[in-house]
Amino acid sequence: MKLHPLSVPYRALTKGVQLGWAAIFGIAVGSGSGAFVEYWPFVVAGVAVLALLGVGYQYLYYQRFSYELTADTLDIGSGVFARREREIPLRRVQNVDVTRNVLQRALGIATVNVETAGGGSTEAKLECVSAAEAERIQSEIRRLKKGTSAEEAAAEPEADVLYELDDSSLVAYSFLSFDPRVASGLVVVFPLLGPLAAALGIGGIRNGAAAAVLVVLVGLGLLVLVAGVWLASAAFRFVKFYGFRLRREGDDLRYERGLLNRYTGTIPLDKLQSVSVTENVLMRRFGYAGLAVETAGYAPGDAPSGGSEAAVPFAPRDDVVALAQTLEPFDSIELERPPSRARRRFAGRYSILAGVAVVAAYGAHAVWGVPFWWLSVALFPVAVAGGHYRWKHLGHQEQAGYAVTRSGFWSRATTVVPYYRLQTVVESQTVFQRRWNLASVVYDTAGSRRLAGGDATAHDVDETDATSLRDRAIDRLRESLGSE
Amino acid sequence: MERLHPRVRVVWSVGALVSALFVAAIVGAVAVFAPADAAYVGWLTLPYAVGVFVVFAALGVVFAVLRYRVFRFEVREDTVFIQRGVLTRVRTVVPYVRVQHVDTQRGPLERVVGLSTVVVYTAGSRGADVSIPGLTPERAEELQSSLRELAIESEPEDAV
Repeated sequence: MKLHPLSVPYRALTKGVQLGWAAIFGIAVGSGSGAFVEYWPFVVAGVAVLALLGVGYQYLYYQRFSYELTADTLDIGSGVFARREREIPLRRVQNVDVTRNVLQRALGIATVNVETAGGGSTEAKLECVSAAEAERIQSEIRRLKKGTSAEEAAAEPEADVLYELDDSSLVAYSFLSFDPRVASGLVVVFPLLGPLAAALGIGGIRNGAAAAVLVVLVGLGLLVLVAGVWLASAAFRFVKFYGFRLRREGDDLRYERGLLNRYTGTIPLDKLQSVSVTENVLMRRFGYAGLAVETAGYAPGDAPSGGSEAAVPFAPRDDVVALAQTLEPFDSIELERPPSRARRRFAGRYSILAGVAVVAAYGAHAVWGVPFWWLSVALFPVAVAGGHYRWKHLGHQEQAGYAVTRSGFWSRATTVVPYYRLQTVVESQTVFQRRWNLASVVYDTAGSRRLAGGDATAHDVDETDATSLRDRAIDRLRESLGSE
Repeated sequence: MERLHPRVRVVWSVGALVSALFVAAIVGAVAVFAPADAAYVGWLTLPYAVGVFVVFAALGVVFAVLRYRVFRFEVREDTVFIQRGVLTRVRTVVPYVRVQHVDTQRGPLERVVGLSTVVVYTAGSRGADVSIPGLTPERAEELQSSLRELAIESEPEDAV
């Protein structure tokens, strides 16, 4: 089979825009924008020639690209100059993701990404096929993997919708969650602060009234900034998760989402390593949570196709736990907190940081005459409170078949790890933990969690408890393997 | 529990000396080539480079000795146990069922003093953590083959 003919102009355009940006940027940096004005006929001619070459190359790419779905492999032959023939065994296929951006939706085409186990990157990319063909490939691969005939597959009932994000929940989710990528945009603002302060003549302020006005102004400015970032983050979330729907199809979870760019992807349940209930501080306040699942070798969200980080982005907490229990039948979560000396340890640790900040503020006062350095003393009660909340949201539980761990105040993750998925068990103790006879136990699985929360860890357990946790985990792994 | 060969201290110490030399060389280069009237580095002279070397080298050697003292490992009935770490003490348990493959590595320095490192790989995200340095080549060979056999004996269930 060949790709959709419209993929020629689509690929030429997208590659052209990418390259064009780089070229314009390069030339502008290299010679200043004067070059464009002075030699414009050459620039136009050059662009025209490159565009022709680009379209020609993409036409050849289209001509030379073919794929074929056989009974147990996906065969792909590709390459204009260097040929590459691939046979991807279907049973190794983890995910078939379909992506459609705005342009592709207008043209009625879609990109199909095929991911296999063990690789972080996409194994095969079909750019682009028609939307109907993408749908067909997705369902055919699922059918062939299961080995059912076409008639049987057609007779199967429509997949049941496990979860759907309705409009009011979507709005609530947009405002209650926070996209960290938006905050990283703030970095752009910081270099502007220095010149801004200079322009306002802040350095010259010495008397009390002016300083008070300044503090109020800075406070207001910060509020506006936070509100702006929050709105931007909400808008991003809204666009990203619009129309989110999760369905169960046999052994796969299948989700789709997106307002402008439409994504559909699958989460293979037989590769499931752990499930986490995640709540940020706002969502927790209002009794909502999200569900993240982790599969071996491929975490939805870090693939090039850009899947969803979450199996369920936002739902009432009880519903999330119930849904998680249909995936992994664990008991109700009743966690044990670390001993209270762990709280003292965290309070002490944060107080040390506060002390450093106070010394730095005093130093700034002594050297540059920065006013109000003594305000930083207020960090000490904050440090103690921080220690308390850090401790309050830690916990662990041993269930018959599962280890449960919880950590995080701002973004709390409660992770359930089946013992039979354990790869190694690690007990670790920092110098400071040794002083307090505490230790942490890490339940390591074959998951590839790089974004949220890190490994499932029972933090700051009593030393002797940690050792027995570790040994019991290994015992239970052995039992679960023996009974299978 | 088994301990490492004492000669591993030499390997680690020499490694520390090399990095100390590297740091000291940078300090020395700044001291030699910086103009004497420069505000921030004018006071920096060659004796400082020597001082930096002595401090880093001493720290490195002390750490090498402490690391040797902490490191323990044991081949148990169906797991490997490893304890290591000077500042953060880490105890890892690897079940044989989860062992993907076992490597023996020998760096140039290890070859000079006649030692080997055995690395045990699992599918876990902390897989590369599990290495046992400072073994005699015979012991490394023996460990590798026994681990391989034990891994094969247990069910090939990688849970991936």
